[in-house]
Amino acid sequence: MRWIIPVALTAMTGPCWAQTTSIWDGVYTDAQAARGELAFGAHCANCHGANLGGTGEAPALAGPQFLSDFDGLSAGDLFDRIRTTMPQDNPGGLSRDQLADILAFLLKANGLPSGTKELDRRSEYLKAIGFSAARPAK
Amino acid sequence: MGPKVLLGLLAGAMCAGLAGSAGAQSPDVGWTSYTGDITGSRYKPLDQINAANFSKLEVAWRFKTDNIGNRPEYKLEGTPLEVGGVVYATAGSRRAVVALDAATGELLWVHGEKEGARGAAAPRQLSGRGPAYWSDGKEARILYVTPGYQLIALDAKTGQRVASFGNNGAVDLKADSDQAIKPDLTSGEIGWQSAPTVAGDKVLVGSSFREGFTPSTADNNKGTARAYDVHSGRKVWEFHTIPRKGEPGYETWLNGSAEHTGNTGVWTEITADPDAGLVYLPVESPTSDFYGGTRPGNNLYGNSLVAVDINTGKVKWFYQFIHHEIWDYDMSSAPLLTDITVGGKPIKAVAEPSKMGFLYVFDRITGKPVWPIPEKKVPKGDVPGEWYAPTQPIPSKPAAYARTGVSESDLVDFTPDLHQKALALAKNYKIGPIYTPPVVSKAGGPLATLGLGPANGGTNWPGGSFNPQNHTVYTYACNSCLLPMGLVPPPAGMSDLPYVIGQAGQPVVMINAAGADQGADAPLAKRPPARGGGGGGRLTVDGLPLIKPPYGTISAINLDTGTIEWQVAHGETPDYVRNHPALKGMAMPRTGQTGFNIGTLLTKDLVIAGDADVTTTSDHPRGAMLRAYDQKTGKEVGSVLMPAGQSGSPMTYMVNGKQYIIVAVSGGNYSGEYICYTLPSE
Repeated sequence: MRWIIPVALTAMTGPCWAQTTSIWDGVYTDAQAARGELAFGAHCANCHGANLGGTGEAPALAGPQFLSDFDGLSAGDLFDRIRTTMPQDNPGGLSRDQLADILAFLLKANGLPSGTKELDRRSEYLKAIGFSAARPAK
Repeated sequence: MGPKVLLGLLAGAMCAGLAGSAGAQSPDVGWTSYTGDITGSRYKPLDQINAANFSKLEVAWRFKTDNIGNRPEYKLEGTPLEVGGVVYATAGSRRAVVALDAATGELLWVHGEKEGARGAAAPRQLSGRGPAYWSDGKEARILYVTPGYQLIALDAKTGQRVASFGNNGAVDLKADSDQAIKPDLTSGEIGWQSAPTVAGDKVLVGSSFREGFTPSTADNNKGTARAYDVHSGRKVWEFHTIPRKGEPGYETWLNGSAEHTGNTGVWTEITADPDAGLVYLPVESPTSDFYGGTRPGNNLYGNSLVAVDINTGKVKWFYQFIHHEIWDYDMSSAPLLTDITVGGKPIKAVAEPSKMGFLYVFDRITGKPVWPIPEKKVPKGDVPGEWYAPTQPIPSKPAAYARTGVSESDLVDFTPDLHQKALALAKNYKIGPIYTPPVVSKAGGPLATLGLGPANGGTNWPGGSFNPQNHTVYTYACNSCLLPMGLVPPPAGMSDLPYVIGQAGQPVVMINAAGADQGADAPLAKRPPARGGGGGGRLTVDGLPLIKPPYGTISAINLDTGTIEWQVAHGETPDYVRNHPALKGMAMPRTGQTGFNIGTLLTKDLVIAGDADVTTTSDHPRGAMLRAYDQKTGKEVGSVLMPAGQSGSPMTYMVNGKQYIIVAVSGGNYSGEYICYTLPSE
């Protein structure tokens, strides 16, 4: 009897949440990003700039430096940073759906591809989406 | 004010176990003031941690600050104190003081103040830079300034307010000012985020305001620096950074503009020489940072170092670094009080690092420059209504230790193509030498004047450090902190100034003070949605910084000779530069990083500082390195991986025969944490 087979089967047939997905894999939809752009304009752009270029101490949210800052973390890490501290004058004031939309917009603004499935609104699930500045080698 | 929120936790426990073990071990060495002492040195001649073993450092303990306040903080800037086996630090969005066991990190007590609307309106929120310590050998006190601008005195043993100090342990620094704070004590804009300095039996405190990019009024509250009696909390003196009618310097504000100008705070650390009876006050710029048409004249004591009598606050001497400042250079750094020997002559000196990238050196008794600082003609601008000083003082020695102005040769040139793109981008801006003034932003150009050093430095709030044994100043400088200085008329209702910072064709955005609306007293209630603003954006060429490396440096400057002995790029090459497609295969020396919050720690032979940003390289996983350099050569001799960038300057102490280093880290998704390192037990 070889015990390894059932284990392997489970891993293959279950949901692929274990660090197999990346922000480069089309993890949001264009419609979600469009909603996110509106929410960003209303809640974020005053400090981060409508062009995501940053103002004062509010950092730029688009460009290689932004991607580098979160490189090696997960979409959930960025989601939770936003969720727990932003907007600065109303932390916790946006719904998870709004936050997921805004995150989708940030991904789109950084040139990351869209897909057919919307970004999840749950931090735990977003943590399975790797955040890497460069497209991972397949 | 509301009641203390967190009181005297485990106060009784703290006295146990602090006696230390007896024996022939190294004596305890403390860190009793924000800069290690009241001279600004950041130096302790310890060498248990040294070049041979620095890379072996291990985490002794961590203190996460998330729960010190009702939200986590990502901008922990404190440097703790250590006295008698106890670490004292400010922490969290509440800016509470915590007392921790120096060897284990165990929480001994915590003290915070709920300040309600006053805390919410504070111009400088979050955890601040640190507390101060005083003791007469019998009693010991911790003193700190709250976001809402109260000076609090605590019993160092228990964390309880000292009832005999001020009003039950607190002095209301707004109510106890010579000026009437406008519009009222609750919302009136004035505060402080720095650590007080204790000199003898006096506690020295300064003042700060919101950012001066987009101030709502030129007639803001005025800067002040004060001395309080550490026993009673009684005000001993108050220095008016903007002279009042009849006081010397009033005449440098033409058209009576001293009456309707504010700011001019003393927002960074104050140092003192009790033997000389002098206190050294580094003064920032008046309102506003980039437009001074409402305040014609040289504007004393703006952008000056002022030496005042420790007992009276009277001016003994002063030196104005910038006449009629319009670049947000401020004076950012603790004055460094060190004794040097120049041409065989001993001099009690004061050296002032700056955002400008100059180190200014004076005889600290007389104020006479050690090397000539001639007045040089500077470019005149054409902003309507502005008043321009025709000359500015430029040190002849030491040479500038960071880039000052912007020239085409400073632009990125990894490849000819990148350089051409950089030149094309820069054509939209005015560039020139230091003190090239801001311009009115025009859509067809110039959009702004580009400055290297304005607002960010050069050397910003962490200041420098010095070794009194080898008479050498070691200081970090941002060498690529680029600021576009374009002026636009403010939209209706934003400001009574004719110009604020902005860019033609883009909505004008109110620039918040660092930490504004983020403190524990700031409302969590919903506000109306903010309108979308433009923002100038960061200046990059294909995602690379417009300015070429080194992006940040540490310099060693010998004060006996006035020469820069060495300079190294500080900070790992950023991932987005190292991995840039256009630079593939290119051999590149370490570039350093574009940060402005790096302070240096000196031990007997080492300069210690962390990277500002995280990187991931073939040598280390994601993280930021805490580095040690040889003081003599600048050669890196060791490093240790931290989970996030250095956000507060490191300090060191020796307790029970072991040397420790504490550094504050935070940023990105990593909330504030003090990490204490020591060597592994053999």
